[in-house]
Amino acid sequence: MNRMLRATVVVCLLAGFMGPGAVLCAAQTGSHSTTPPAAQAPAREAWQKEFDRICSRTQEAMSFSEEELASLIQRCDALAPQIEKLDETRRKVYLGRLHMCRGLYAYVLESKRNQKK
Amino acid sequence: MPTCWNRSGTRKNRRSGLWVLVAALLLSGVVLAQQIYLPPAPAPPAEYGKVVLNSHAARSPGPVVFQHWLHRSKFTCRLCHVDIGFAMTANGTGVTQESIRQGYHCGACHDGKRVVEGNVVFAACQGDQYVPACDRCHAAGKRGVRKYDYHSYTAKLPKFNFGPDWMKAEERGLIKPADELVGFAPARPRMPLREDFGITTGLHWVRPVTFSHQKHTVWNGCELCHPEIFATAKKSDVQYTMYSNIEGHHCGACHLKVAFPLNNCAMCHLHAPTWAQQ
Repeated sequence: MNRMLRATVVVCLLAGFMGPGAVLCAAQTGSHSTTPPAAQAPAREAWQKEFDRICSRTQEAMSFSEEELASLIQRCDALAPQIEKLDETRRKVYLGRLHMCRGLYAYVLESKRNQKK
Repeated sequence: MPTCWNRSGTRKNRRSGLWVLVAALLLSGVVLAQQIYLPPAPAPPAEYGKVVLNSHAARSPGPVVFQHWLHRSKFTCRLCHVDIGFAMTANGTGVTQESIRQGYHCGACHDGKRVVEGNVVFAACQGDQYVPACDRCHAAGKRGVRKYDYHSYTAKLPKFNFGPDWMKAEERGLIKPADELVGFAPARPRMPLREDFGITTGLHWVRPVTFSHQKHTVWNGCELCHPEIFATAKKSDVQYTMYSNIEGHHCGACHLKVAFPLNNCAMCHLHAPTWAQQ
């Protein structure tokens, strides 16, 4: 499977299929994402950018220091009141997601503190 | 001759009495085991993981039937349950027609624009007007309205006795679940591989569990399980039981409803006896 994958990538690169061809390569090699048309992506508001910065890092949570985790938790707490002011749908969706991010960072922080004991 | 006949008859009676006793013991054992340990029989594979969302809209074309088997072949659990925000419990999400129209919940993909596996995802109902396409989701009690049929869709996927083996299907490249919804949620760095670990069991005749941290994190991320499902951050405090699993907690949060059912003992208790898998 790996060989096939490598071969596909090499063939695509050799054929000089960069630019529009890169999309073809991504499709062939099984890009793990879904795409909207570029023009449809809406501009992100300030609270949303902060949300992205905080919650896009959950996969790395175990590699953060206790100070970094505490800081992320603090940022979650600071962001929550801003999300609470949004309309019902966005409030529901983003508060839920923020709750999960915060919960994970708090969980990892507690886990790290327990390991030290 | 009559004596001989009588003797044989007594033996027969003794034997049949013994069989009755053995059968009674087995039966009571089975009943007891079902009461105590055995998870409920899972729904047939085509129905397993089916979620019915009752629509409360005045002009609704009927309840929505959501099939996990279709969606899980295209997306990771994390994408829908973390990024899009679908709750893990019934009625926990609060999906509304308005939230879908705004591009959230089902509308995050079903907007008539997003491309998945080279196909444009059909748009969810827009407005109160009924069109035949509504039935693709509002499918409860309707025949022939869906595009995908379970049996033909899963025909080429590897299977075990409880339906498709999604792990093998992914390993063989037959499915490629997307983990990112571009423009909806931030891109994430690839997760560093976490080590698998063993979980010892309380009963000496039950094989230990080998937990695949790798497989779980690839599909679920971290925050889907921690801390909501597995809350304890101190390893020595962790005690899961089959009781709690069967009640829908811990492993049972997924492995009763969508992920392979708990009845498939050997998937977790490696090398469990085959009789336990039936």
